[in-house]
Amino acid sequence: MNTKLKVTEISKIYPGCIANDKVSLEFGSGKIYALLGENGAGKSTLVKILSGVVKPDEGEVFLNDESIKLNSPLDAKKNNIGMVFQHFNLFETLSVFENLSIDNDKKDEDLRVLVNDILKKYNFKIDLDIPVLNLSAGQKQKVEIIRCLIRNPKVLIMDEPTSVLTERETDDLFISLKQFSKDGILIIYITHKLKEVLSLCDEVAVMRKGKVVSVSSTIDEKIESLANKMVGENLNTIKKKINNFKNSEQILQISNLNFKSDDPYETNLNDLNLSLKKGECLGIAGISGNGQNELFQILSGEIITKGTSIMFRNKEIGKLNPRERREYLMAFSPEDRISQAAVPELKIYENVALNNFKSSNFFEKGLVNEKKIKEHSKKILSNFSVNTNNVELKSQFLSGGNLQKLIIGRELITSPELLVCFNPTWGLDVGAINYIHETLIQINEQGKSSILISTDNDELLKLSDRICVIYKGKLSKIMNADTVTAEKLGILMGGGSID
Amino acid sequence: MIKVEKRNDVSRSIYFLTPILAIFLTLFGGGIIFFILGFNPIEALKFFFITPISDLYGLSELLVKATPLCLIAIGLSFCFKSNNWNIGAEGQLIFGGIVGGGVALLFYNHDGFYVLPIIILSGAIGGMLFAMIPAILKTYFNTNEILVSLMLVYVAKLLLDYLVVGPWSNPEGFNFPETRQFSESARMPILFDGLRIHAGIFITLITVFLSWLILYKTYLGFQIKVSGLSLKTAKYAGYKGKTMIIIVFMISGACAGLAGVGEITGPIGQLHRNISPDYGFTAIIVAFLGRLNPIGIIFASLIVALTYLGAETAQIFLQVPKYTGQVFQGMILFFLLGSDYLLFFKIKFLGLKKNEL
Repeated sequence: MNTKLKVTEISKIYPGCIANDKVSLEFGSGKIYALLGENGAGKSTLVKILSGVVKPDEGEVFLNDESIKLNSPLDAKKNNIGMVFQHFNLFETLSVFENLSIDNDKKDEDLRVLVNDILKKYNFKIDLDIPVLNLSAGQKQKVEIIRCLIRNPKVLIMDEPTSVLTERETDDLFISLKQFSKDGILIIYITHKLKEVLSLCDEVAVMRKGKVVSVSSTIDEKIESLANKMVGENLNTIKKKINNFKNSEQILQISNLNFKSDDPYETNLNDLNLSLKKGECLGIAGISGNGQNELFQILSGEIITKGTSIMFRNKEIGKLNPRERREYLMAFSPEDRISQAAVPELKIYENVALNNFKSSNFFEKGLVNEKKIKEHSKKILSNFSVNTNNVELKSQFLSGGNLQKLIIGRELITSPELLVCFNPTWGLDVGAINYIHETLIQINEQGKSSILISTDNDELLKLSDRICVIYKGKLSKIMNADTVTAEKLGILMGGGSID
Repeated sequence: MIKVEKRNDVSRSIYFLTPILAIFLTLFGGGIIFFILGFNPIEALKFFFITPISDLYGLSELLVKATPLCLIAIGLSFCFKSNNWNIGAEGQLIFGGIVGGGVALLFYNHDGFYVLPIIILSGAIGGMLFAMIPAILKTYFNTNEILVSLMLVYVAKLLLDYLVVGPWSNPEGFNFPETRQFSESARMPILFDGLRIHAGIFITLITVFLSWLILYKTYLGFQIKVSGLSLKTAKYAGYKGKTMIIIVFMISGACAGLAGVGEITGPIGQLHRNISPDYGFTAIIVAFLGRLNPIGIIFASLIVALTYLGAETAQIFLQVPKYTGQVFQGMILFFLLGSDYLLFFKIKFLGLKKNEL
């Protein structure tokens, strides 16, 4: 049985961003296809279109030369397109078999025979009658795969399947995927891990900023060539003047930081070491989900790890919470500006009060000093050109750019010695991005330091003095920014090594 | 096809008006129920809601019932505002009553101005300590506070049962399950001769004022508000989440304990099995009907107190069980939640598209 899947001129436009820009691709059974790209390159949108979750604005999908309409996930199922998402859709307290039978019309006895056949054929070892919550991440993924296999899929789409798997489980998965492919199932494998592309896939399509930039056989590719295509040329030539910080005073020192999480969707951090000098910007690159979130929270004090030493301006702050760290002149701008850095239902001045210093006197003797907070807020609004002067406005009515200006302003108006920010410009328009970038360069010029955790390489290359890459919870060697190229970053971000 | 969408702009005035709408819907629903039972709905509702408060004694009774409801609801609003679901105010009330009552029994042959304040204080501390059990279990062992606080209600009830039947029962009481009467100086002063309204109402009013002050004017209140809206933000701002959970439970428990001690030193005057007609549970309705706002809660407590009185008059004049009061309380909550749903979400009816058939 030969399956051909073709998408032609698929476009999907979201407000402020073109997720897919006339994407045309062709797939045929017998091969494993990789869809490679950075965060926001448009892979997920394309996959969501193929699985009926998102409707394209333009373009068509053909299955075996027949145009198909995918208006809902049900349509995808009807057309034998199976999908395994990165996060599992299983009922934890139901048994494996109950999870499988829940969206299946077959009689239980028939289904059990079928499932047992699949288990035998692919050598899966799963007890069908234990609750899903007792399974490992790899086994849960197998349940999702079995759920697809029951329906005799022609196409199987795997969205970043290895992000929650151990090395062993990854190897097992690859063996199974190759077997499926041999059995005639067309496999589309979405990833940003370069090594996996080369070891598993036959063909690779690279996406960048919504467009397909290359389609090639993996035999013709190397890690470097793929990285280059994935990250693209560094178009932005405006670079910060790189300074020499040899004689500057050291401001932050973290040694041998380890963090082990109980949550399988969180990343463990291993043996992190970093140091920062006065006036310096340290960029931390990486594809999201490699430990950035955890690292940010450890820096901000939201996560406190036992036995970790964080020296900030010659004081040990490892045990302090975010508010206490602020007293030592640290400031933080988290990634989630909408529901973490600010509360949408609160008024602007109330959101300003979240960053509370003893010396700011927002709360004197435990009482709210509304007048002081409002004055302070007005100052932020005008100093950081937020386009309102109404401090009573609920922050949900601010645009993303203005909200970010408010947050950065709130963090900076107290003249901190160190600003830690995480993806400060995601989703913003060019004007707001430039404003934030200028502000970040300015604080370095004033002798203040910053740590910029970002998934945007252009931004990192533009603002950092030194750069390192975080991959699977480990930091690469820290490099001077003038020696770093987009290509090098791409290799490190995909798990490769340079030198 | 029906589609439910979240509304982004909920007007503040409508947010505070929906409880009133819910009350009108409850009256309407109650009218229908009375009609089905064969009564003239207007007459029946008059017996239920007007007759009980048409004289001075009735008004005093209304305040007697509203006093504990308002006090407990105010305490609960601290918990609910910060996303802590304390369902066990009834248990905290009873435990406060047990501790306060125990102290009152200790002083049964003492007189002195100091007796009542000590009893009141010990009742508040009793409720507070009892509320700290779910709080500590939640913060240190990740238990669910809804279950723990609810189950502790039955622990408190059974403990009270044991005490009034066993060790604390009145030695001259012919084995009735009740304690001695408390001494005069252990009783809440009565405000007017012949009426049951007592000084507990001042405790409630002072607590309402203090709560308003804490919730809207202090750093603690601000932290409670932020944690209720977004725990992630509270963490990022560096608020001590665990301490805050314990504080709100302590406040809530102390209020329930005060309510309990107010009942036993006020209208009851001793401990027996039924020191509370489920005030602790009904106060949950009061808290939500009052929108967790101190002023709102005052009004809500009066309305819900009226359902208690109405049920009694209806039992006398219409020969319907007094549990009709609970039916009305249930309807208030039902209609409030229903109108809230429509307030925060809009429902769109879409025609069926051909390709979806």
